[in-house]
Amino acid sequence: MEKIVIGHFYPDLLNLYGDRGNVLALAVRSRLRDIEVEIRNISVGDDLKEGDIDIGFIGGGQDSEQNIMSDDLVKVKGPVIKSMIESGTVFFTVCGGYQMLGKYYKEHDGKVIECLGAIDLYTEGEKERFINDTVYEFSPDGKSSVTCVGFENHSGRTYLGEGVMPFMKVVKGHGNNGKDGTEGVRYKNTFGTYSHGSFLPKNPEVTDLLLELALKRKYGEDYILKPIDDLGAKEAREAALKYIETGKEQMI
Amino acid sequence: MRNKIAAASAVIIRKTLRLMGKGATTLPGKIALKISPDIIRSKASGKNIITITGTNGKTTTSHMISDMLNTLGYDVINNISGANLASGIATTLICGREEVKKAKGDSKGLVYVLETDEAAFAKIAKPLSPKVCVVTNLFRDQLDRYGELTHTRDLIAGGIDGTSATLVINSDDSLVASLGIGREDRSVFFGMDKKALISYEKDHPAKKGIIPPSADAVFCPECKVRYEYKARTYGHLGDFYCPSCGRKSPDPRFAAIYGEEGNPAFEGYKFSIKDTKNGLMEEVPLKIPGSHNIYNTLGCVAAVTVLTEKMEGEKEDHFEKACDASSEVKAAFGRMEKFKVKDKEVCILLVKNPAGLDRSLQFVADSKDTGCLYLLLNSNFADGKDVSWIWDVDFESKAEDLPENIYVSGQRYADMNLRVRYCGRDVREKGDETHMKEIFDKALSECPSGKCVYILPNYTSMLALRAMLVKEFGIKDFWK
Repeated sequence: MEKIVIGHFYPDLLNLYGDRGNVLALAVRSRLRDIEVEIRNISVGDDLKEGDIDIGFIGGGQDSEQNIMSDDLVKVKGPVIKSMIESGTVFFTVCGGYQMLGKYYKEHDGKVIECLGAIDLYTEGEKERFINDTVYEFSPDGKSSVTCVGFENHSGRTYLGEGVMPFMKVVKGHGNNGKDGTEGVRYKNTFGTYSHGSFLPKNPEVTDLLLELALKRKYGEDYILKPIDDLGAKEAREAALKYIETGKEQMI
Repeated sequence: MRNKIAAASAVIIRKTLRLMGKGATTLPGKIALKISPDIIRSKASGKNIITITGTNGKTTTSHMISDMLNTLGYDVINNISGANLASGIATTLICGREEVKKAKGDSKGLVYVLETDEAAFAKIAKPLSPKVCVVTNLFRDQLDRYGELTHTRDLIAGGIDGTSATLVINSDDSLVASLGIGREDRSVFFGMDKKALISYEKDHPAKKGIIPPSADAVFCPECKVRYEYKARTYGHLGDFYCPSCGRKSPDPRFAAIYGEEGNPAFEGYKFSIKDTKNGLMEEVPLKIPGSHNIYNTLGCVAAVTVLTEKMEGEKEDHFEKACDASSEVKAAFGRMEKFKVKDKEVCILLVKNPAGLDRSLQFVADSKDTGCLYLLLNSNFADGKDVSWIWDVDFESKAEDLPENIYVSGQRYADMNLRVRYCGRDVREKGDETHMKEIFDKALSECPSGKCVYILPNYTSMLALRAMLVKEFGIKDFWK
């Protein structure tokens, strides 16, 4: 029986807007395939060694909570996480977790917060928050594409460095910065997004891609993920699209 | 003069709207505030006022305090319909006299029991100048609208500092308890009895889900060190302490002790409350079931004891009388509201945020009379546009104890369906808000006789549901 270890980073601090749903999706969709799942909580003061985990998840937090863990992430765990990202460990990161992979976060009052520097991107805070439903185009292999839905809520504007690939294209919503039509980042096997909460449950193609990447790394390139039920994800996505198209959603 | 014109205008608007069949619980006050921003101070001056704020349990607590004060011989005016912003409170202060809840027997006086939104509290606490401020708890609640929890806590602190009120605050909630720091001489704490909580937790270990629910406020804000808990009730509530600076949950004056028999999910569950200041202890029945209602009942007994002490002078029997009065309370609008349909019952539990949904699911899982579960999820502005908070809730630990038939509806029914499916349970029937009634009918017809249909709607879906029930079954409009 295959086994997958999910590292849930700072679950007691970075847990905004249903971010834990992403960890649940990874776990449930593994268990439905009879893959053994271990969820390891990795918070302030906890050890982390390369090879400890197959998939890492870093969510977003409130400012006061990000202040508590940012030193631990950047200074203590930073070098290990960077090396894991470089060597192809799968990471899925949301909002604050995504921003912290970049070089820095510049607050709108000018204060600069140093980040991990694992990926060539940076973020600038602005006063106006983007709070709305979102629709994206995701192309897992550069050919076929999947329509994904989510909800964004962020004041940071993220800009990708030259040649850095976005995770998805914005169809509706603001994405990285509201200007260039990009959403999130994809670097090796690491993904970042501004889409909160139920992103992985509602978009199982992405969940399965993350699982497959991790399992192939562990059990060889021939590993193929068994198809399973989507548990109502497509219906949720269609309902969300209908809800957005009929104009009931509100862009703030 | 301005205040007189403002009040007179509000009264006329209220009368006109009432003739048109409207509730008119906020507009009259809104206009009055426009005419005279000073109207709240002017109308509140010299009155007995108690405010209730916090993210969860405000309405239930306000309603219980009102019922208890009635029983104790006070006339009560409250903002019954949850009109809890400045406009609703101004309306209540100006027009409330036409809807006094009369005391049982001779009246000892009039008390305004005002449920107050957390952000509104910051602005109106000073002009209201209440005698007592109750803060129930602080859980994450539509963060997209209200912002950070620590910010909400600071808003409440700011409001308090404009008053000389006695604070009746929860000692088991680290954020609420911190309001007592620097205000020790006017803080009265209520919480679980610490010894009793430790032994209860040992005997009743909580079921675990796949991952723990998202926790709020589990780090010491001063030291940035994780709190240790000697015992926990739910969420971040419990007997906490900071291993670095030693900050800990204060020893409460009013402490609850779990009963030896039964379960807090059952109405009439007997537990005890201690008044440690006077060395007294009373057994009370839990009139509104649910483990979280132990805190609510305890908070009400604490608030009513403190308020009657302030109004009548300190005598030992205030506590005893408050405990007795707590057995006379009823549930509030949409909060554990139950009614009979032939040989079945229907019960509405409003769920607005993760803590509320978590407690309500636990309650449904523990109840003996559960026939089926109907979940309603909307995403209008008043609900919060973002429904991803349902993923903060630990459905997994309750999944196997939820009833066989689960139904979902509301604008975001498909998100709720997905959430239920992810915890390993199937959904019997689902559809968007246009199918709310037919799914209700199906749930009711499929509910076994003698059992209850538990409905968990969020805010605007509760209003829609209730409007449908008013039409179908003739239950009361909310302002009546």
